[in-house]
Amino acid sequence: MDSLTQIVASGLTVGAMYAVSTVALSLVWGALNVLNMGQGAMLAVGGYIAYTAVTAFGLPIPIAIVAAAGVGALVGAVLYFLVVKLMIGKDGFETNVIIATFGFALILENLVLRLYGAYPLRQPIGLDGGWHIGAVHVPYQNILLVLVSAVLMTVVAYALKSTRTGRAIRATAQNRGATELMGVRVSKIFLQVLMIGGGLAAISGIMLSTITTLAPTMGYDPMLKAFIICVIAGLGNIYGALIASFVLGLFEVSVQFLFGVRFGFPALLLLVISALIWKPFGVFGRRKTDRL
Amino acid sequence: MMKNDSAGRFRTDIVIGSVLIVAAIIIPFVFPTRYVIGQLTIFFLWATVVSQWNLVFGVAGIFSLAQMAIFAMGGYVAGMLSLYLGWPLWISMFFGGFASVLFSVLIGFACLRLRGAYVALLTLAIAQTMYLLIITDTACFMRTGVTCRNFTGGTRGLAQFGDFGFRELLPYKYMAFGNYFIGLVVLIFAVAFSIFVIRSPIGLAFRALRDNQTCAEVRGISKFKYQLLIFSSSAFFTGLAGAVYAGHFRVMGANTLYLNLLLFLLSMLIIGGVGRVWGPILGAAALMLVDEVLKEFVNWRLAGLGLILVVFIVLLPKGLAGYIEDIFQRGRKNKATVGQDE
Amino acid sequence: MLSVSNISAGYGGRPVVRDASLEISKGSLVTIIGPNGHGKTTLLRCISGIIGVDSGSVSFDGVRIDGLRVDEVVQLGVVHIPQGDMLFPEMTVDENLLMGGYLINSDSQVDQRRGQVLDLFPKLGERKDQIANTLSGGERRMLAIGRGLMTGAKILLMDEPSLGLAPVVIEQIFESIRTLNKEGQTILLVEENVSRAINLSDHIYLLDEGQITWDGSGDELSKNDQLMEVYLGI
Repeated sequence: MDSLTQIVASGLTVGAMYAVSTVALSLVWGALNVLNMGQGAMLAVGGYIAYTAVTAFGLPIPIAIVAAAGVGALVGAVLYFLVVKLMIGKDGFETNVIIATFGFALILENLVLRLYGAYPLRQPIGLDGGWHIGAVHVPYQNILLVLVSAVLMTVVAYALKSTRTGRAIRATAQNRGATELMGVRVSKIFLQVLMIGGGLAAISGIMLSTITTLAPTMGYDPMLKAFIICVIAGLGNIYGALIASFVLGLFEVSVQFLFGVRFGFPALLLLVISALIWKPFGVFGRRKTDRL
Repeated sequence: MMKNDSAGRFRTDIVIGSVLIVAAIIIPFVFPTRYVIGQLTIFFLWATVVSQWNLVFGVAGIFSLAQMAIFAMGGYVAGMLSLYLGWPLWISMFFGGFASVLFSVLIGFACLRLRGAYVALLTLAIAQTMYLLIITDTACFMRTGVTCRNFTGGTRGLAQFGDFGFRELLPYKYMAFGNYFIGLVVLIFAVAFSIFVIRSPIGLAFRALRDNQTCAEVRGISKFKYQLLIFSSSAFFTGLAGAVYAGHFRVMGANTLYLNLLLFLLSMLIIGGVGRVWGPILGAAALMLVDEVLKEFVNWRLAGLGLILVVFIVLLPKGLAGYIEDIFQRGRKNKATVGQDE
Repeated sequence: MLSVSNISAGYGGRPVVRDASLEISKGSLVTIIGPNGHGKTTLLRCISGIIGVDSGSVSFDGVRIDGLRVDEVVQLGVVHIPQGDMLFPEMTVDENLLMGGYLINSDSQVDQRRGQVLDLFPKLGERKDQIANTLSGGERRMLAIGRGLMTGAKILLMDEPSLGLAPVVIEQIFESIRTLNKEGQTILLVEENVSRAINLSDHIYLLDEGQITWDGSGDELSKNDQLMEVYLGI
């Protein structure tokens, strides 16, 4: 029973962190057809900015988080203007943009490296202490993360469903041409989505760094995991991504608990590959028809 | 019309290739410093990897990011066969190649039926998995005296499997030449293979597939079969290069799976010109030169690389080989519009 | 109201529309007829800005609109209802309509317009919360038109509204189009069926091989034995 509690607690925490960054990736992919390989670097940037805001500027934690999210959004905007905008509509966009965002990630990583060094830092944001369920110690930090994630995801879901811009974003993901015919300036939507994605990535990075440490390459592994989760859910399916994050978070933690930490990622990968063999467009994904 | 043009290009390739081979044979005698020869050996290996990656991505359209995993597989298998079974590296290197082929077939079955972006993600995840499994390998596999060795070598890497034996065979002055020429020979075969694929009917079939997949498939060309064929056959040379790498450095480590190295080689591919015969060589040469320069600015090496990647993919997508070819096309009297590399 | 002057346009360097000119006055219903593949859809796309014109110009209410972005053209009141509907497949009927109202700033105006659309197409009201790609062909067409109406268009460009529909449904659709026009909506229609065009339109243009080869009223067309023979086999 204690083991189960431990697994559930950890799995939900991990799932919560994945949810934020997975939804960001899914949004960007859905609306723009962009697999943002810079996501991992943007995660790290978010964590570091929050760190600086608290340690160097002494800002209160909520402000630091907002500041970091703001910087994340800014990075998303830079990505749009310098890279995406110039490439959209051209041949091979889907694969070329992966390479371009990879390059962008390298530049970001180098900047972080120069500013903060390679030595891992401790994120001063977080709660101490925890709750005891049976013999299991559930840190308050983890509970907070799950709550933050839940709130954030609810806000995003609401915004997408009920606001004019949210509707336009969904429309762009479903039929870009038709959206233009409604009088929507689609390039503005692209910019907004990349900024939202950047902000969410930053927050995800802050969350992650409170549980692990701050290091320039901290975002790479979580980014891959978030992508894998997205792929299972069907890239572009936001609600599927949300559900899959928690399911897969629990799965990963279970495997790690039963077989050892090192088998967590490989197990995820095997699961994804099997799922894709079964449903090549993702479990909740939809087939895109080719127009001849 | 098309056949003449193909034959003409093939002749050009032979000429360029011959010139390069002659140059490559002469250079070590002109600049016999250990450093230059060592760097050139590495250049040969990277060029081999990129030449095969060029086939996989540029011709077959598979956006695979598992190329270094395949490379590493070749190196590790070769090293392990030599270390645990005592085989000479000369033999185990070919088995490294075969292992890579098998590995790539597995990857192919898992990934090739998927859309471009998915393939990239999954292959990247596969490479990452390999990396993680290696560096977390701490279990004791073999006792050598007092120390314990892991199966894969773990974070310290696989070592003590011997090398190509040039230390004993050649006089000190020419010791590095041995590995140099092995690398060169592998590269020659790799490039010859890639020329064969690109200029042959298979290459044409792929161009048809790329230009309009549904039409081509209706005519009986199975994308999956062809892709798997190229993916797996190119893996042989990639794995072979990995084995030579192991023999050259006398250690095989998970550092070959670092993302930065993957991106370094990817840059060579992009900058050289995707799908072009001489792209990989141009790209590898260009980037190793740039890297030499960037060694001065070691703090900005990553950003420099990233910047070059972004600039080329956004502004100069055809790559160096592409633009050079364009210049030569304009100079030619016969303007052949059919059968061109796109 | 809408003035197309000598435009030529095409895809990838091949001209599909050559030197075409049209005039549409406010409140009229104008139809473009002609054989398939001869440029009717391309012509509409030039007006709405989806593709650019190679030469000539398009003006609306005295303002030149060729060269503008698609969304800018829509903001001026020129609304293109594309062939095949191009609905938002995973949104509900209501959400599709709301997307049509994207440019409207006041909620009450959105509600008002939605009310008008649902008056015209009561079926849509019944299916308000249904996902768009589960609708029947006729309902989809109604939704596409309704969505276009939500924008408060000054002129509607409709590309083959009868395409792929059963005759009974086509009648309903055209009844609605007739009603809209009677209420003052300016409409430019692309239609395959000549007799329907004659019954419906104030003015007809014939697009053949990308060129306007004839224009006139429905009456004039039905009296033109030569053309009627070619296009209707009479």
